[in-house]
Amino acid sequence: MRTVVVFLLVVSLLAPSAAPAADRVVATTLDNGLRVLLLEDHRSPIVSFQVWYRVGSRNEQRGATGIAHFLEHMMFKGTPTRGPKQFARLVEENGGQDNAFTSQDVTSYFVDIAADKLDLVIELEADRMQNLLLDAKQIASEREVVIEERRTRTEDDPGGFLSEEVSSIAFKAHPYGYPIIGWMEDIKRITPAEIRAFYRTYYIPNNAMVVAVGAFQAPAALEKIRRSFGRIPRGRTPAPVLAVEPPQNGERRVTVRKEAELPIVYLGWHVPNQRSDDAPALEVLSTILSGGRASRLYRDLVYQRQLALEAGGDYSYFSIDPNLFWFWATPMPGQTPETLEAELSKHMERLKAEPVTDEELARAKNQIESAFVFQEDSVHRRAALLARFELIGGYALKDSFITKIRAVTVADLTRVAGVWFAPERKSVGVLLPKPR
Amino acid sequence: MRAVIVLLGMVVPGPAAAGAPLAHREVLPNGIVLLVAERPAVPIVAVRVLARAGAVFDPDDRAGLAHLTGALLTRGTATRTAPEVDSAIEFVGGSLEAVAGRDNLTVALSVQKKDLALGLDLVSEVVLSPTFPPAEVTRKVSEIQAAIRRSEEDPGTVASRVLARLVYPGHPYGVPVEGTRESVARLTRDDVVKFYAQQVRPDTTVVAVVGAVTVDEARREITARLGAWARPAGAPQSITPVTAPASPREETVKRELTQSTIMFGRLAIRQTDPDYFPLSVASYVLGGGSASRLYARVRDEAGLAYAVYSWLSTARYGAAFAVTAQTRTAEAPKVVVMVREELARMTRGAVAERELALAKQYLVGSFPFRLDTSGKVADFLVAVEDQGLGLDYADRYKERIARVTARDVQRVAAKYFPPATFNRVTVGEIK
Repeated sequence: MRTVVVFLLVVSLLAPSAAPAADRVVATTLDNGLRVLLLEDHRSPIVSFQVWYRVGSRNEQRGATGIAHFLEHMMFKGTPTRGPKQFARLVEENGGQDNAFTSQDVTSYFVDIAADKLDLVIELEADRMQNLLLDAKQIASEREVVIEERRTRTEDDPGGFLSEEVSSIAFKAHPYGYPIIGWMEDIKRITPAEIRAFYRTYYIPNNAMVVAVGAFQAPAALEKIRRSFGRIPRGRTPAPVLAVEPPQNGERRVTVRKEAELPIVYLGWHVPNQRSDDAPALEVLSTILSGGRASRLYRDLVYQRQLALEAGGDYSYFSIDPNLFWFWATPMPGQTPETLEAELSKHMERLKAEPVTDEELARAKNQIESAFVFQEDSVHRRAALLARFELIGGYALKDSFITKIRAVTVADLTRVAGVWFAPERKSVGVLLPKPR
Repeated sequence: MRAVIVLLGMVVPGPAAAGAPLAHREVLPNGIVLLVAERPAVPIVAVRVLARAGAVFDPDDRAGLAHLTGALLTRGTATRTAPEVDSAIEFVGGSLEAVAGRDNLTVALSVQKKDLALGLDLVSEVVLSPTFPPAEVTRKVSEIQAAIRRSEEDPGTVASRVLARLVYPGHPYGVPVEGTRESVARLTRDDVVKFYAQQVRPDTTVVAVVGAVTVDEARREITARLGAWARPAGAPQSITPVTAPASPREETVKRELTQSTIMFGRLAIRQTDPDYFPLSVASYVLGGGSASRLYARVRDEAGLAYAVYSWLSTARYGAAFAVTAQTRTAEAPKVVVMVREELARMTRGAVAERELALAKQYLVGSFPFRLDTSGKVADFLVAVEDQGLGLDYADRYKERIARVTARDVQRVAAKYFPPATFNRVTVGEIK
């Protein structure tokens, strides 16, 4: 079923959640390497059960892009004991909602369901981790669905199309340059044998994580998980992604012409990820630039001068490998993409030249922290947040995240802007509307 | 994600834990209906103020007026400029949005519990004392015009607008909520001031307060801020519901795209109609989930679409039922035939027991997830109140859905699914 949440841009800071959670997490690793995180939450008789595989478009090869996402679709196509369509049927007839997404770094499956159906879901997920059919006929038919999905998200969507182009010029060596959904030619070409091999390589317990939050007893849930997933044999550790993006030594630029009403401008700078001490400052910087209507880009470009219909920025704190810091703007009618590109660049230069105000810094920190608290309201989001932190080194990092954000100073922001936003590390994409 | 379920103002209400009241309800002396649900576990509060001031009240030659008014509520009050409103709420990491839809204008607040007083101050300011500064009106008009222009890039939006015009000819629902670029150009500050004065009034306003708050506290805080809001003389404006369906029409919009977006739609019924429940089940069997007939045939078996689904759109003055699919241009005629065949099949024979059971169990069983955050509960409460469904609606929904039989489904399908009764819109590279 399903699809990519292609979040190249605007995966807004999965805002993390407040403290009281992490200390009650039951965390363990089964003998076969499966990581398990369980958190009881008895407010409602519901549970969010999620399986995260440490594989995404990052693990793909040129010529076979989109395979991780294609496989995600196939995960709903049955096993020998539960035929095609049975997964959705079983979940829905038990009142559950299921879905999945593929990102650059991970493939995630979730079922949100009444807590008393947890055992069923555990069995279904354990079954498809090991026994997926991957029948050639089903693959052929689902290929057409994936192609339609690409048409919707990319071919017929000016913003989607442009972001793909910018990523592809920004990354020469690292697979972050590939579209998550894959190039059309690759989607059409990928063979069943390749999909099966990809499944065998990456869908193994020691490359996966189970996260559940909801109204269950953790010891009993763990026992059930152990019985269902524990018998799946450990696989050979997948080969690490070795590609490292070399430093960029000059601006890169792409122009796209497509039927559209307004132009779009994207700027992307190579920046470090959460492993760097600069990551919390980049997170705060991103919020100062684009978090809400009091943020710099909105207030200046959209509100005060009305140069843009929309303007924003995004930083991927959770990215497994160093990724891009994005800026974008849609010029108002009558404004040119050149103007908006210059204005976005000026904002970056201003961050290097003059300190942000104390109010801006405090507001950004409050926004980040508050978003954490709001996430605690949903079992689904609580589970996803635990998973995000576990993927970057451990769910307990969730607790130190806010501390790190709180420690960011005005001087840190000026410094990281100077270090990371050099013009020669920038990639620029412009979409020019082709009149109807 | 699997499929984009675009819910045009859809409320899919359902059961809460049987017997437990969904919320405390009382009517303040000035007519405001106050709904409070205590959810103490997480220190946040969600507030909704729903005023019966949606686009359906736009004067004929003023399309987009409610939408503009909604967008301007937070753009300046008696005590704060627009940037001051933004800075105040964002400094505490909260959010405050005001937006008008077809029937209503809604102000939505989310704050941490510790910031509730500030949040409610802002809510009451934007509801009671918006000043509609001329510069903000000018600014917002050009912004809305640009947004309308940009939305022309999205085939789903384009198709929805045309479909609304075909389903609701001559009714305000047939006109886009945001108006057109031309109609918005004609709107003035005077129009906004007048619309606000006439349509935003306590006796048609519903306030929901949900989260880490007690009933007493909510009553005290809301009364302190909105209690003195005077009820105007005269009855609120009434709107004529859409009654007879118009003769179905077909329209195409040419766009240079690789896919065609196809939408079928017709008038349907509100939740207050007993047939709403079997119709909900029928819609789910036809195109509601990934085990539905349309999903199975068009997507799973034929590989013709990524998105294909049906939905019931509730609205106070004229509900609708619609089906949509996006497919590669060359195959659009085939998908049209498939949708029509599946609609017809629903009218001809009873649904299988397993299909019926699945739809019913899904609709009932998934309901807790529609009420799993304070924000969702607040949205649900104001919708239930606005539609006049009663706070027991959640329990009633569950019970009514459980009682739906295969024969009921076929009966309502025979009434609402005959393919010839549907309008149809296609957006794409039409030859």
